[in-house]
Amino acid sequence: MRNLILSSFGWCALAVLGFAQAPPPAAGVSGGGGGDYKSSTAEGGADRIFNVNSDSVDMESGTMQWKGTTMNLGNSRAVRARFERYLAAPTDNGDMKRYIETMDRIQYLLSPQVINQENYYRNQQEAFNLLFKAAEFDIDANNCLTIASQVRKIWTMKSEFTQIAISKNELETIRKHQEGIIVNRADRMEEVNDERASNQGKGKSLTKGSTGATELAYKVKDEARTQVEILAKNTEMTALGLKSKIEFQSQMVSFLMSRRFRHSLITSSFYRVLFKGGSQNIVVGAKEVKEFFPISDFVPTLESFDTLSREAIKDVTKGMQTVDDMVKQGELYGAFERLQETYFLGEFEPLVMSYPQDKKRDMLELWRDLRELQRLGDEHDLANVEGYVNKVRGRARDFPGAPILSKVNNAINASNMSLLSAKQAVLVGDTTKAETALERATKIWPQNPAIKEFANQVVSRQDKLAQLVPDFDRMVTEAKWRDIYNKKLEFALALAQDKPRSDKLRQIINRVGELDGNIQKASVLASQGNPYLAWDVIVETYKTESDDLVLAKTRSDIAPLIANYAQLIGMAEKLEKDGAEAAALTAWLAAQDLNPASPTCGAAVKRLARSVAESAVVKSTVTTPAPPAAAAAGDDIPLPPAAK
Amino acid sequence: MSKLNPLVFALGIPVVVIIILLVLVVPKMGGGGKFGNLTPFSVEAYRKDWATLQGNAYRLDCQVEQQLAFVEGRGRILAVKPTDASRGAGRIPIFVPLTAGDSFEVGQRFKCKLRVAHDLLVVEGLERF
Repeated sequence: MRNLILSSFGWCALAVLGFAQAPPPAAGVSGGGGGDYKSSTAEGGADRIFNVNSDSVDMESGTMQWKGTTMNLGNSRAVRARFERYLAAPTDNGDMKRYIETMDRIQYLLSPQVINQENYYRNQQEAFNLLFKAAEFDIDANNCLTIASQVRKIWTMKSEFTQIAISKNELETIRKHQEGIIVNRADRMEEVNDERASNQGKGKSLTKGSTGATELAYKVKDEARTQVEILAKNTEMTALGLKSKIEFQSQMVSFLMSRRFRHSLITSSFYRVLFKGGSQNIVVGAKEVKEFFPISDFVPTLESFDTLSREAIKDVTKGMQTVDDMVKQGELYGAFERLQETYFLGEFEPLVMSYPQDKKRDMLELWRDLRELQRLGDEHDLANVEGYVNKVRGRARDFPGAPILSKVNNAINASNMSLLSAKQAVLVGDTTKAETALERATKIWPQNPAIKEFANQVVSRQDKLAQLVPDFDRMVTEAKWRDIYNKKLEFALALAQDKPRSDKLRQIINRVGELDGNIQKASVLASQGNPYLAWDVIVETYKTESDDLVLAKTRSDIAPLIANYAQLIGMAEKLEKDGAEAAALTAWLAAQDLNPASPTCGAAVKRLARSVAESAVVKSTVTTPAPPAAAAAGDDIPLPPAAK
Repeated sequence: MSKLNPLVFALGIPVVVIIILLVLVVPKMGGGGKFGNLTPFSVEAYRKDWATLQGNAYRLDCQVEQQLAFVEGRGRILAVKPTDASRGAGRIPIFVPLTAGDSFEVGQRFKCKLRVAHDLLVVEGLERF
């Protein structure tokens, strides 16, 4: 359950994170022919955006995957900043239409269907000149100047190449002349040698042993040096050609990988014109281009570069059309996603760079809200997520907020349930369980206001506990049962873990409850016109609860209604206390006359009558011995004092 | 003789009879019968301060209301109500020792001789009427 909740919450965070970005859907881009540019589902959108495994923009590593190939966009922070800068920056000035026309014109002049033997140099020169025109536009960022300097370098190399060829021809002429001299000298030496041999046979003496050998040796040496020089020129020519080819191809690949597709196309066109057929094979970037075409034995060509560039331009064009269409339909979130992925593919495309600033501002506001939503998700600030989701929905009605809100609500419920569990655990004194539940609730929703409230309650409870226990003890000592009863709930919570005090509290509550019951009973009896019975209840209760103020008040309320009855009972009790049981019995009988139904009077009469009867003989014997029968009639009776 | 008015006889004879009756009955009624020489018992005085009556004997005409207690070998406590309410109304307890040897029913009327023994009203003699 816990894992489920956490994973749900993790999804939520990821979703929020993901909605801040939008990758290019693989089908939409690779198809290149009007594929579905919309995200398949909201979840898909959430997962894809920073998913390095998807065919998309990867903000974390700062790369973009397109057609299975990763393009490096820079580090992630820079990528985000660049996109935000793009949204915030004013649109580039300049006539985009003219710029595109200029670029297209350059390509046209160099295209195979236009260029021929007749206009070969003229078109090159015109295209070369147009490069400077294109470089005047801000959007070009002087990249055309780079191409121009590259072309100029090739032209210079070609001139050098010609010079080398001339030098090489001259050397060859020299070498041939030297070779002739050597042959001549060698023939002469042979003739001399033949003549000497014939003279020896005829007995003629030799006049000279060797003629011209030294000169020949020098001539041979000169010829060898000339040959070496020719070879050196050959090598220089080869190296120069290779160098110019590599440099040009490097620039072309550089433009492609940095997503300056139009410049890559123009570089390719110049290359095709400047280099002859034998140099059209790809030396630089073959590996990178092969990755775009996952075909075995694929041989990269210049046309491969062109294909990639044109397809990218088409994708960007299509992407921007989709963005415009979605904005018109009010689907700003979808438009934002499409703009983002289109931007990273065609950041330097004129269509992207010239996107209207007011629309970009709308996207920027949405981007900031999405980033804030992402931050809230990262911080698990669930209470504010709903507000931001609604805010984003206000901007972009197609924003898929329902799944986010659903997950957020689930997480809120899970947090609250864990908190409830913690509360219950605290009440039963299970601290470990309470801590675990509280930790779970906090992890799911750290800013849950109920957690703070709960913490305050716990602290407050601890404070109260520390204060209530001595209070309870003091009140018990002072027999303030009514005060304890009035704070019974607080005491019950505070003393829940203290069994002796808790039992004592229960007794007090029962006692005061019974007392209140009797007071209630007396009040009802009095209100029903039977104050004597009410008084009985009061008197009986008063015996044990004489300190209770409520009872005392009730007693004082009823007393005026039964003044004589109360007086009789009071007198009876006093007389009994003084040992005058018969007189007390008389008073009880008088009280019973007033309240015949009184159980108190009935019980007292019965009790005292028995007692008096048992002790009567003793009293009468001791105090008033029976007079003799004869003297009965002649008693001398004093007048009683009462007969006055 | 014949000159006497017969009306004198008609009025004189009843008057004489009434006088004779008054002479014979009234002393008997005002004297309280058997205990006519005793002071009537004052319930009010007893209730107010029984101690001042201690040791005295009184006459009480009363009606039995209830027997409150009976102790074998000793006697009984009766709640009686004075027939003359002028000296105090309401029930009072009296002790009738076994020696009185009579039976008591609720509603019976008695003339009693009471003695205040401490606070107890002890019947020393009684007469039903």
